[in-house]
Amino acid sequence: MTALRVLAKDLRLHARDARFIATLSLFSLSLVLILSVAFGPFFRDPAREASATLWAALFFAGVLGLTRALDLESESGGGEALRLTGADPFAIYAGKTIANFLLMAVLFVLLLPCTSIFFDVGNLAVLPTVAGVAALALIGYAAWGTLFAALARGLKARELLLSILLFPTLIPLWIGAVKLTRSLWADGTIEPVRDWLKIMVVIDVLGLALAAWLYEVIQEAEE
Amino acid sequence: MTLGARGIEKRFSSQVVLRGASIELHPGEILLLRGANGSGKTTFARILATTLAADAGTVTLDGEPVRRRLGAARRAIGFVSHRPLLYLGLTPLENLEFFGRLAGVADARLRAERLLERFGLTPFARTAMERFSRGMLQRVALIRALLPAPKVLILDEPYAGLDDEGSSTLNALLGEARGKGTASLVISHDRDRIAPLTPREYLLKHGVIEPLP
Repeated sequence: MTALRVLAKDLRLHARDARFIATLSLFSLSLVLILSVAFGPFFRDPAREASATLWAALFFAGVLGLTRALDLESESGGGEALRLTGADPFAIYAGKTIANFLLMAVLFVLLLPCTSIFFDVGNLAVLPTVAGVAALALIGYAAWGTLFAALARGLKARELLLSILLFPTLIPLWIGAVKLTRSLWADGTIEPVRDWLKIMVVIDVLGLALAAWLYEVIQEAEE
Repeated sequence: MTLGARGIEKRFSSQVVLRGASIELHPGEILLLRGANGSGKTTFARILATTLAADAGTVTLDGEPVRRRLGAARRAIGFVSHRPLLYLGLTPLENLEFFGRLAGVADARLRAERLLERFGLTPFARTAMERFSRGMLQRVALIRALLPAPKVLILDEPYAGLDDEGSSTLNALLGEARGKGTASLVISHDRDRIAPLTPREYLLKHGVIEPLP
């Protein structure tokens, strides 16, 4: 129940932050549009260019999303009050992770059709597999991102630290997502790059396991 | 529940703030802690409320170190700090219901509505708090701390931003809590406002706590 309550609270805060949601959507849509114009109108490898564009937009939007989530926790001490309720730290982490995942999933749903249309790639047959790849990438993003956000929360240079920690961790995850999405859009299968799937699963599991082990320690280290 | 702090020491970089501060707070007791600006009152309050770790010394609840059973200790302590410790994007009722339920209060909504009424905030119960005044935020912060009916209250400058009516309501609630055996530590410069509750007075000076006559 604690996780669900934290999830509901985070989604409510995001939903009410209309300016931020609009900024996030416009920023990522603009990126997709600009890159489609830059690469087009005669694409050399539309599947490659489209998948790189989609995941680049999601990556930068993701960093913005986490930074905003961090601000919402810090600005009036809500995160500290959450800690003072004595609720299970991992349940708090789980609720926040699911909220971060859902925010990015909504953005993915918004960007996917735009990318498909602008780059003229993809078909309905591979859509479930593309969605599965996205789920893997976004679970890893949310698992690591929420953990790092907790680590950075009490610090003055929190946005900087969050970015520094996120980039090296998420890059292998994002390379996997680009390669798998490209393969699906170009060849209709993931077979040539199947190993990336395993790498992504390992990164996801590692992030969640590390959080289960360390989240309470990180939460208590905040001063 | 008895809250005890023995030999609390805390330093930030080279600045020593607390040098063995000790205090004992018994059920049904109200204690006023005073001290000059920068004397370490807030640091001491945060250590008692478990949001800050001491460099040395122990904080106990009924003789048991709070760090050993952090979750249970936090559910027993209500804390008001300089910051509101609320989500400003939510309404007072949403905040109070959220924190109350997480703290295990079954009738959190009902209790929140009653306390909001006591503090005259019913008309604002469903208004986002982004534009609330300092005094209104302070009232909601006080309700957040009082809502789970904690055994121990640690209130750091609770009268800040409150008008006379708000101060009277707070005193009435502190009096009721005392009647139910709640121990309260109030940190305040505003001696006159808390005077009706006739608290025991202590002074924090040079990192040590001393009783005042």
